[in-house]
Amino acid sequence: MTNLSGTLNQSITGLRAAQYALSVVSQNIANANTPGYTKESANLEEVSGPSTGLYTGHGSLGGVRVASTGRNDDPVLDARLRTTQADSSMADTTASQLASVETLFPEPSSSGLGAQLNAVWNDWGNVSNNPGGSSSTAVRQTLLSDTATAAGTLNTMSSNLTQVASTTSQELAANVTTMNTDATDLAKLNGQIGIATATGANANSLLDQRDSLLSNLSSLAGAVATINANGSATVLVNGQTLVSSTTSNAVSVNSTNQISVGGTAVTLSTGSMAAQVSALNTTIPGFQSQLDSMAAALASTLNNAQANGFDQNGNAGTAMIGPSSGSGPVTAANISVILTNPAGIAAAATQTTGGNLDGSNALAVSNTGTSATSPDSMYATLVGAVGTASASAQQRKTNQDAVNSAVLQQQQSISGVNYDQEVSDMMTYQQAYNASAKVLTTIDSLLDTLINLVGNS
Amino acid sequence: MTSMSSLFNVTVANGNANSIANISIASNRLAALQNEMSSGQAISKPSDNPDGTVQAMALQGQLARNTQYATNSSDAMARLSTADTAFSQSVTVLQQARTLVVQALNTGAGDASSASAIAAQISGLRNTLLSLANTSYNGRPVFGGTTASGTAYDAAGNYVGDTGTVSRQISSQSTVSVSSVGTSVFGAAGSDVFTMLANIANTLQTNPSALNSSTLGQIDGAISTVSAAQSKEAASYTQVQAAQTTQVSTGTALQTQLSGIEQADLATVAIQLSSANLSYQAALQTTASIRQMSLLNFLQ
Repeated sequence: MTNLSGTLNQSITGLRAAQYALSVVSQNIANANTPGYTKESANLEEVSGPSTGLYTGHGSLGGVRVASTGRNDDPVLDARLRTTQADSSMADTTASQLASVETLFPEPSSSGLGAQLNAVWNDWGNVSNNPGGSSSTAVRQTLLSDTATAAGTLNTMSSNLTQVASTTSQELAANVTTMNTDATDLAKLNGQIGIATATGANANSLLDQRDSLLSNLSSLAGAVATINANGSATVLVNGQTLVSSTTSNAVSVNSTNQISVGGTAVTLSTGSMAAQVSALNTTIPGFQSQLDSMAAALASTLNNAQANGFDQNGNAGTAMIGPSSGSGPVTAANISVILTNPAGIAAAATQTTGGNLDGSNALAVSNTGTSATSPDSMYATLVGAVGTASASAQQRKTNQDAVNSAVLQQQQSISGVNYDQEVSDMMTYQQAYNASAKVLTTIDSLLDTLINLVGNS
Repeated sequence: MTSMSSLFNVTVANGNANSIANISIASNRLAALQNEMSSGQAISKPSDNPDGTVQAMALQGQLARNTQYATNSSDAMARLSTADTAFSQSVTVLQQARTLVVQALNTGAGDASSASAIAAQISGLRNTLLSLANTSYNGRPVFGGTTASGTAYDAAGNYVGDTGTVSRQISSQSTVSVSSVGTSVFGAAGSDVFTMLANIANTLQTNPSALNSSTLGQIDGAISTVSAAQSKEAASYTQVQAAQTTQVSTGTALQTQLSGIEQADLATVAIQLSSANLSYQAALQTTASIRQMSLLNFLQ
């Protein structure tokens, strides 16, 4: 197009294109801090004009137009980020769970269960030194109350561990609800994205919403997404379809913490829910059973000791420890001291009618704490296991967070907004606008010249 | 548009995240060191040092046992000292009896009233010896074995204790006997010192001329039995003394080991703390100055 009015039009398209590009810059700056926002750009394209008589072969000077508003995403990086986010969420959840389990075992300390058990064994030593006489009752009473303190600590530990499990269970249920909401939202969004794509409308903000839902689903359950040609997403969890096109399947969790998608059981291998399921089914029950074995060992050590000896009145010793419910096996939750009479402590190894002041059975018991199979060493093993698990979970969290943040940085360097970049673009389009405006005024003056020329003739 | 360089394009979200991550790393480290410094504990929870925690717990157990051995040893010492005094006094009493018998032998059977006076003194010594044999520590007769009754001998001089042994654990490997059974100190029933002294007194009272030098032999035999029991008990005493010395050094060694694991090295922590403080300030300062800058600062 080579006539003056055609060139006038060209410069107008230039003005409008620069204006549109500036509005994209403005949009980017406005959303620089919006979570999930993907940087946009104006994709400009040359417009061919109609051919004229003068330049029959080169009719390509129709100005400029905005072909589309680009979305600076990298689907491969996005998918990679979702994977690292899932791993990172799993590591975070595991670490924070173990950190809360760890607070239940405050060791090493001068007042923890370890110290309480040491006091019990030393009390047996004191009973051995003082099996009868005026001060013996006080010494025997101290043994009973120190034993009750240790039993009470075990009760508290057990109930706190149960509390951690029940909190985790509630969090898991809440996450299942979130997954269902996200899946339903995503199915709706898939429909909207499909329509937008089919009609050529700008779907960028819908795509941002889609990506943030995909990111949530991945962090929760390691859900894997496939992006379809029309922009909609298909999501699988452990091979089971969670969302396909505009339909979503329901996620549920049962009493044994089994997660199902659309009624089919799935095994989660990553994401925070995987950490919660593993805590509920493996980690916490493991610690609980170690604690129960330790409580049972304490009970059998003390009860066997009682059975081996004779009390202050010369009678065979009766059980000192039992379940608070009265029957059944002793666990950390129900361990309690059932011997109430201090004279019932079987300090003597030999039987004399009416009792004697032998303390050798008590002396033998006082050495129990040092044995390798003692409740003390079982407890130390448990504390060591909790500490090791927590320390390595923290380490994994640190590593996984670093991996995730590196990938996030990469992804953000493509999809995120940089002020310098935007300001530089702004200057570019400002100059483009100025230049187009200059062309406009030049054409205007040419037209003016032409019109005056015509008027003068 | 693709990224501007092979390095990262520092976007707004990136910049925020980086600054916050760096500041929070510096601040967490500072908080951990401050906690260590103020509590003086290198291990505040098991995950700080799982091995160290288990070791510390084992050391605490050993320390508690060591304390108990010390308690047992003091009790043993007190008991053995009480018995030792009784032993020495018993020997003195028997020697007095011997002197009296020698006196009686020298005087001969001539002076009945003098023999009767000596008989009365010997009866008195027998009673003194009986009360020595009933010496008690913490309400328990030290020569009565493990008997629950308050005495080892009744008023007639019959042994009413039992043959049980009273032991004290003074180290992880050794227990020491802190009792002597009355019959092995003062003689078996029938041939015990109380019967012997009663017989001597009786002889002096009724038939002084029957007294002969074989009585001296009996008394000497009794003295040597008591002395033998005393030296056996003295061996235990020495053993407990040695154990007490060991307990003190073991206690110190265990405490040192425990401190090494459990307690913060304050000098090192102080240096780390000041360097962490510096890092934290640097992170804040850098964020404050860099995050203000953008191309906008240079546009008019």
